[in-house]
Amino acid sequence: MDQNEVIIRVGGAAGDGVQSAGLIIGKVFSRNGLHVQTYNYYQSIIRGGQSWYQIRASHNRVKSQGDGLDILIALNKDAIERHTNPKINEGGASPLDGIAVYDTALGDFTKYEKIKYCGLPLGEIAQKYSRNTLLKNTVAIGAVFGYLSLDFETLAGVIRDQFGGKGEIAELNVKAAKEGYDTFVTKYGKSSKALNPEEKRFYLISGGETAGMGAVRAGLKAYFGYPMTPASSIIHYLAAHSRKFDVFVKITEDEISAINMAIGANYAGIRAMTGSSGGGFALMTEAVGMAAEMEIPLVVYEAQRAGPSTGLPTKTEQGDLLQIIGASQGDFPKAVFSPRNVEEVYYMAGEALNLAEKYQMPVFLMVDLYLAEHYETVEKFDFTPDIVRPPFAKGDEKDYRRYAYTETGVSMRALPGTPNLMHNEDSDEHDEKGDVVSDAVTDPEIRRKIMEKRMKKLETYIKELPPTPSYLMEDAEYAVVQWGSTQGAVEEAVDILRSKGLKVGVIEVNRPFPVNQDIRDLVRGKKKVIFVENNYTGQLRRLISSEIGVTGDIITKYDGESFYPGALATQIEEKIRK
Amino acid sequence: MVTMNDFKGSVKADWCPGCGNYAQLTAIPMALAQLGIKPENTVIVSGIGCSSNMPEYVKAYGFHGIHGRSLPVASAIKWSNPELTVIAYGGDGDGYNEGTQHFYHSARRNPDITYIVSDNQIFGLTTGQASPTSMLGMKTKTTPDGNIEPPINPLSMALSAGATFVAREFSGDVKHMVETIRRAISHKGFAIVDVFSPCVTYNKDNTFDFFRKRVYHLEDEKHDTSDQMAAFKKAAEWGDRIPIGIFYENNDPTYESRDEVLQTPLIKQPVKKLEESDLEEFL
Repeated sequence: MDQNEVIIRVGGAAGDGVQSAGLIIGKVFSRNGLHVQTYNYYQSIIRGGQSWYQIRASHNRVKSQGDGLDILIALNKDAIERHTNPKINEGGASPLDGIAVYDTALGDFTKYEKIKYCGLPLGEIAQKYSRNTLLKNTVAIGAVFGYLSLDFETLAGVIRDQFGGKGEIAELNVKAAKEGYDTFVTKYGKSSKALNPEEKRFYLISGGETAGMGAVRAGLKAYFGYPMTPASSIIHYLAAHSRKFDVFVKITEDEISAINMAIGANYAGIRAMTGSSGGGFALMTEAVGMAAEMEIPLVVYEAQRAGPSTGLPTKTEQGDLLQIIGASQGDFPKAVFSPRNVEEVYYMAGEALNLAEKYQMPVFLMVDLYLAEHYETVEKFDFTPDIVRPPFAKGDEKDYRRYAYTETGVSMRALPGTPNLMHNEDSDEHDEKGDVVSDAVTDPEIRRKIMEKRMKKLETYIKELPPTPSYLMEDAEYAVVQWGSTQGAVEEAVDILRSKGLKVGVIEVNRPFPVNQDIRDLVRGKKKVIFVENNYTGQLRRLISSEIGVTGDIITKYDGESFYPGALATQIEEKIRK
Repeated sequence: MVTMNDFKGSVKADWCPGCGNYAQLTAIPMALAQLGIKPENTVIVSGIGCSSNMPEYVKAYGFHGIHGRSLPVASAIKWSNPELTVIAYGGDGDGYNEGTQHFYHSARRNPDITYIVSDNQIFGLTTGQASPTSMLGMKTKTTPDGNIEPPINPLSMALSAGATFVAREFSGDVKHMVETIRRAISHKGFAIVDVFSPCVTYNKDNTFDFFRKRVYHLEDEKHDTSDQMAAFKKAAEWGDRIPIGIFYENNDPTYESRDEVLQTPLIKQPVKKLEESDLEEFL
């Protein structure tokens, strides 16, 4: 295992403080200038069950939760049994090969040869400072940083921030952590890991948060939603900062209301968004077509979780692509984005808002539970406002037609309140002026023309599609095709294969619709094309194959967990050698 | 000076001759003109159904959306640009079936919009099926043996949700309707006006004659519009005598007056420029 890197896992039950312990550990590393990736394994339960939080930190850039496990903090007996047992492999997570930190009061459990058991009287130490049982987590965190011999002051700072400044509770936690730190070193010594503070600090942030922040940068003024995991992280972020960012956040009676409100707000001339997970989005679909027919800008944030139906509410999957592509009756222009990492979510949220307004069409910002909820480090963000708004009609236009036929298919909007340009925007088929053509006499000629006008917007957009990003494709003999959040694990799997001499590259589809023709050029001459998808049927492969005739082999994963680079590398190699 | 004529659209209404909706097509522009509200500052939002075609026929900003969803659209338009007068218009099928949850929640939420429901107690555009306000026993295409579901009472529903303005009108009494719609538009908050608007083609039970014989004006009986319990009682009245007019009104604060971000109209707010300090929490 890399001496510049460490993987730590905190295991316990819901309510044990697993996630907050994990975040403290992550922040200590990111404040020390180390790259961090986290992974949150949890259940749809408020108390009990089995959850864990993994933190991978390194001096080099890391792109996934990684393979291996150096340090385990076990908050209960189940956790120590589970994460040390080589036979248990939850969705690909490695069993412990390092040290286990646990409360000596846990009692007896199965022990394995390769593991160093470092029991400490965590509860006993904690009791000296407070009766709050969660304090033992802080003692354990202190122990871990003692073992890693990372300077204590950064940890103390993170603890103070977590527990509200310099108050009594914060100080008790700092003291408890210090005792954990010192006791561990005295009893078990230090790790051989070479992790040292760097002269920089990183942000540790999730995709739900960067989606909100990126949208605000692009002029978001309202967000309408309904609570549904994992689409709630963006709502929580925006609601908490509603006053600061002057963003109106409204939780509605249902998702149908949310999307109709978002459309109403966009119609009135502000930038508004809605969002949900697959189930909530299913309720929104009728209104998606309305936005398209009435040519009102609309951005929908969709955070996928494992379906069908309620499925696995706290587990990740990429199973909604075809739902998004097929949402709502009829043919209409739309665009789908699938940002590949937390940083890209930030920029694509803005791009989505600009694009939706430019082409007056629905744009989908698709993430998944993993991307929406896990934390990773980002070095910096561009704050320059990213707002491109086409002009609105002012009121002195002669012969204004809301849906005028144009070369690009885009016609100028007149917002309500504009003098002289009163018109009707209709979900019924209409003519250039907005007058309905389906009531008294259906006019096939106008129907054909207005349909072509709307679809022309997509043709125009396709011409300006940015190239599909790729990784190590220049000299690649084999092409892996991925989309969205699997980027990190796929790239790391390819790094493993490259180190074995296999020339593999990655085609990274971050704008799955409209399908970019350049994918055809990227796969040309490759010995094999292998799609990697976090779903059962290979939805991206189905889409790309039907749109541009490119297909290939496939590796899927639908157990509710993300890909792990090591296991994925083995699977890709098998496909190559087959 | 704004006149009714300013609201005259270029498209001629194509409802059946004698349809109740023609009365509202007169009353709404008349009320707006009396209030001096310009067409350019008026938005009429509707769903789907015969009555929901209204925005096509009025010269104003029209939003003819999908079945049952006019209220969320209307609320968000108002919240985005409070200088607009926003009227949602639709039928009983649209508002009291698919739109029920929006109706109930809008009533409790109290956005400053007006909701006028053309209540003909039948589905007209889909050629005559029982609606949520069809009377018990009514024979329709979907209830050939007579309707066995008791009708929804939209007024008591609105009252129970905490609506701040609850009224009912009748298409056979335009003068009275104009006055009530004028007050509904002027009301600061969610105003519901349920209008008995007979369907001359598919509802042979609740005709103009049926209502002419029964309706009376609440103000003639000294009804106290600030008394919610009295309003509930009046809303339950059905039979030989049916009240129209304003049932209930209060001055509870609107949703937008309670929300801090909406204190400045969203459409006028400058864009927030992000700074390093906005990211401090992630360090």
